[in-house]
Amino acid sequence: MTTTTARMTATRRWQVALITVGVALLGVGGIVLLMDVNPSRYVGIAIWFLGALIIHDGIAAMVVFGISIAMRRFGRRIPGFVIAVIQGALVIAAIFAAIVVPEILKQSIGSANPTILPLNYALNLALFYAGLAVITTATIVGYLVLARRQKLRSSISQH
Amino acid sequence: MLVQWRIQRLLHQMRHSLAAPSRNPRTAVVIGRLLATAFLVCFATGLYSHFIQDPLPGMLFLTRPVWLYQVSQGIHITAGIACFPLLFAKLYAVFPELFQSPPVRSFSHFLERASIALFVAASLVQITIGLLNTYQWYALFPFPFRQTHFALSFVIIGSLAIHIAVKLGTIQKYWRKKAHYDDEPDPDATFDVPDELRRLTGEPQASGVTGRLFNWIDKTPAPAEPKTSRRGFFATIGVATAALVVFTAGQSFRAFDITNLFAPRKNDTGPQSLPVNRTAEKAKVVDAAMSSNWRLAVSNGSSTKTFTLDELKALPQYDVVLPIACVEGWSQYADWRGPRLRDLVDSVDAKSGASVRITSLEQNSSYAVTTMEPNFVRDELTLVALELNGEVLDIDHGYPARIIAPARPGVLQTKWLSSLEVLS
Repeated sequence: MTTTTARMTATRRWQVALITVGVALLGVGGIVLLMDVNPSRYVGIAIWFLGALIIHDGIAAMVVFGISIAMRRFGRRIPGFVIAVIQGALVIAAIFAAIVVPEILKQSIGSANPTILPLNYALNLALFYAGLAVITTATIVGYLVLARRQKLRSSISQH
Repeated sequence: MLVQWRIQRLLHQMRHSLAAPSRNPRTAVVIGRLLATAFLVCFATGLYSHFIQDPLPGMLFLTRPVWLYQVSQGIHITAGIACFPLLFAKLYAVFPELFQSPPVRSFSHFLERASIALFVAASLVQITIGLLNTYQWYALFPFPFRQTHFALSFVIIGSLAIHIAVKLGTIQKYWRKKAHYDDEPDPDATFDVPDELRRLTGEPQASGVTGRLFNWIDKTPAPAEPKTSRRGFFATIGVATAALVVFTAGQSFRAFDITNLFAPRKNDTGPQSLPVNRTAEKAKVVDAAMSSNWRLAVSNGSSTKTFTLDELKALPQYDVVLPIACVEGWSQYADWRGPRLRDLVDSVDAKSGASVRITSLEQNSSYAVTTMEPNFVRDELTLVALELNGEVLDIDHGYPARIIAPARPGVLQTKWLSSLEVLS
């Protein structure tokens, strides 16, 4: 009992310390914003904050939800491992698209000098996706072959 | 219209249908630890980069190892890129919490939810503008990058501290691996609960368009192998993070140059095989830098000496191998040759503890005038470079003369030198 109380107190102390540090840092952030950023820009920052929440929570997360439901619904006969691998590959592809597609767009608009965005990002992304597709397929095929062998072995040992 | 109870039902149905094996407190803690580490690494390296450019009185910075800034800023950018999959994973794990009902239980609960909204929004904006800054796409955001990025870093780490404090109980409980994670009774675990709306109107959960949709989702079989699903989640985030690092870190770390497919910068590109941040044309210095009247003025109080390019070449020349390391994360080693800065300032009797104000021919840039602290001025590796990789400096690399010093950010390696002023 004493130990539990002591631990509770320690937790409480940590919480107070963390909240104090947190509020102080938020204060510093606020002061920096007030001192270094022109108030006419605050609306732009607020729009970006709101936009980030809407794009993530309202659109991206919902699309992910829709796809995972669809995959579960239509992939009832597909082994869980295969579903997990396909979902994983799709997520990796989406994350790379989020990082690389803006580079491709900016490159097509033009950059400040030729050493900024010097690579062929569209081709590299296509190559990356091809590699991802090959690895995904190989993993699934490898799993299915192994699973089949194990199944055969267990059915033979039962006889 | 029973709006309150309809909203409550909708929130229950959303939370119920979003349940997934990898969405549990343990996942949130595991990913949260990694994300918090990445955020703290970015914060520490970001503060280092900020204060080496704008030091507070009394701050001192190391001149060794020569790669200190290169590695620090390379880690800043690479960890920042790794934050993308980690942040997405964290938000995925806790997404059902967005639909908790009732949405606000008390004033402290409101504060908690508001602080999380601020934390999430600031984090998403921070890593996005950080990434866009690495290829200078400033037109996309209507606020100044550096000041906003700096201010948001405090907002994020402050929110992180508060978030850890609020969730400390959960963090302690799920810090270590457990046999199972479903010991918390979840009020939204069952779809067809008799809620207030049903008590008042008799409408079952599956009524109406949304009710039928959620009922259809509820009939969707849950993953047969929750363990596989959970492992798949962690493997996906692990592979995505590792792949992003492998395919972008080449701009900062030579070892990854061969796998540099997606970084905004590539080693060995540009004039004299070295990337450029700001060209002479953009800086509007071409005429002044190419002029035969160019002189480097070195002054200490009322004593001033001017050097022509030939006079600089006639001074003892030194060769150094130093990285040029940009605040945007890219860096590359190069061979530099020229007189030592300390020899030049000693020609006007500079004291050993004196700083030097360095002015460029460049106008309208916040880095046109910078101050170098005494330990960098006195360093034997700090040169007024006239040559790069065995050739006369290219105009885009600062012809006729530029500063190169160890362990300093690229923006302080002033190009197109105009004057050096010893400060008392």
